[in-house]
Amino acid sequence: MIEAIDLDKCTGCGICDEVCPADVIYMEPVAMPDVVDGMHRAKSLPVIKYQQHCVTCFNCELFCPEGIVDVHPSVKNRPRPW
Amino acid sequence: MATNGVHGTHIETDILVIGAGAGGLVAALSAKRAAPPATQVTIVDSWKVGRSGHTAFSNAWTVVVAPDDDLESVTKEIIAGNDFIADQPLIHRVLETSWDRLKDLEGIGLQWPRNEDGSYYRRPTRGLKDTRVMYPVGGGLEFSWKLKRGIEDEGVQILDRFFVTGLMKGDGERVTGAVGVQSRTGEFFAITARATIIATNAITFRTGFVRDLTGTGTLLAYRAGAKLRNAEFSYLRPGTPRFYFEGIAFAIQDGASFVNKNDEQFMLSYEPEWGDRADVPRIARAMAMEKQKGNDPLYLDMSRIDPAKRDFYFSSTVAWMQNFLDKLGDEARTDMFGKTPYYPQNQMTKMGLATDADCRSNVPGLYAAGLAQAGCCNHFAGFHIGMCIGTGWFAGEAAVKDLETLPPAKLDAAEAGALYRETMAPRDDGANAESDNWLLEFQRFTARYDIALWKSADRLEAALQTLGGLRERFAELRAPDNHELVRIKESEAMVLAAEIIFRASLMRQESRMSHFREDFDFRDDDNWLAWIDVEDSGSGPVLTKTPIPTPITHPADLT
Repeated sequence: MIEAIDLDKCTGCGICDEVCPADVIYMEPVAMPDVVDGMHRAKSLPVIKYQQHCVTCFNCELFCPEGIVDVHPSVKNRPRPW
Repeated sequence: MATNGVHGTHIETDILVIGAGAGGLVAALSAKRAAPPATQVTIVDSWKVGRSGHTAFSNAWTVVVAPDDDLESVTKEIIAGNDFIADQPLIHRVLETSWDRLKDLEGIGLQWPRNEDGSYYRRPTRGLKDTRVMYPVGGGLEFSWKLKRGIEDEGVQILDRFFVTGLMKGDGERVTGAVGVQSRTGEFFAITARATIIATNAITFRTGFVRDLTGTGTLLAYRAGAKLRNAEFSYLRPGTPRFYFEGIAFAIQDGASFVNKNDEQFMLSYEPEWGDRADVPRIARAMAMEKQKGNDPLYLDMSRIDPAKRDFYFSSTVAWMQNFLDKLGDEARTDMFGKTPYYPQNQMTKMGLATDADCRSNVPGLYAAGLAQAGCCNHFAGFHIGMCIGTGWFAGEAAVKDLETLPPAKLDAAEAGALYRETMAPRDDGANAESDNWLLEFQRFTARYDIALWKSADRLEAALQTLGGLRERFAELRAPDNHELVRIKESEAMVLAAEIIFRASLMRQESRMSHFREDFDFRDDDNWLAWIDVEDSGSGPVLTKTPIPTPITHPADLT
């Protein structure tokens, strides 16, 4: 299950969001003061929005170009046959 | 909002492929290549095409019959390996064309490991003598991505994040496309198409321990009039929630064994001939009976494996599996070769669309490929992808051929409005998202070994009653956002699937392949060499028996 994304090193490329097959990660705008009046300063960073729905596929970790996504391999919350 | 109450995007195409696993990707490639110039082919997937689906997360082992192989022998042993629940002409054709498909995949850049002498690296697969399987470099991730790039280069329209919620029929009897929502924004869309290929995988109840995706297309096709079959069969395999592991066959070859709480190697008492080397459904059956006797926890004892061979189990050619093993590190080594409890898992149903040998369903304009197509019921290692590739190719070709007679599809205003309202019905901005709790309860119920694996009439009847209660509570669920709407729609398909599976399991009064009845614990070819077909009467499923033609091989051939 996805545990963390090191946002200090994130470039905002959005690949983690794009490759997730479970709609877990959302690129969301970060509020920042404009440098020039009238020129909206746009930046997005990933948010782990639905961690409980992660299917531990590792796509986000594998395809992050900066290597800053941490997915733990243990599987949680899956029913057993007994 | 328009006066008919619908608001969204309308896309027009000639051939629509729903689902971008092996079946769908190959169907799109096949259709584009077979079609006359300027034919529009569109592929949609709930998530990112080429980066999602069971194919992408697999090793992508596939059966390939080389020119020097004995095609007839391979065909017969695969059919027998399915306990004869198999479309024999279709399987023969899939195998016969597998070498050509290998060349097509190489043509789009997929590489396959070779031996030092230049021949392809191939392995036998569990329990079969002449069948050989091979895998592409990079496994499923490379397979899916190279195919995505391949179809993109050939001009297939690729639409990511299109979650389909219904099939259209216009004002007639043929399928004219699909509707759904963009899986992130929730925007409604309708795609009209002359031919629609369902390639959405089989239904799962998301009970696999990892990467538990599910597909709803088979149930949408059912509601559009398509006949389904093989609901009583499943993909059963032992697994552990501690880590994902796909090397059980190799581990057993190297000395591993299933043991119970008393350290007894119990498989020989259930499978005197094969023991631990039995096919995975038989292992699951034995584990269920051990549990019934109170001999659990059960383990895969890998401590017997020679330490010199253990490193093999910590390497994989598939990037995410290697990542998985690296991150577990010492924990994996301890668990894997220690006492890790194993369970028999029912990972997915084998229920799919009944089709002809060209993958046409009984509904004009509707085709099926991949595991959404019910060509067989036991996709042992290598045959999942093998069947997906074959049926994908045939479905694409059949759709193109039928374009000669399928008229352009028109978006019907009344139908679009009705499907829009049906799709959006659970949306309520003020509601709480509560489907997770409902789903966990549903999964705990459907995963029970004495319902999912080791069945009986009384337990299945009781399960139908329990399902009724779950269905009533499900109807009350609402979605405050699009994320929850998609989850609810997936769960809706699971409820319908569960009913069909229980009813088909009740009807088949024998045990065969992965369908095990405690009260009919024998195979009955005289009465049950047949498919159980399921159709929607409008007020519930209607089940009928269809004898299975055996032109290539019959059970009597094996005696």
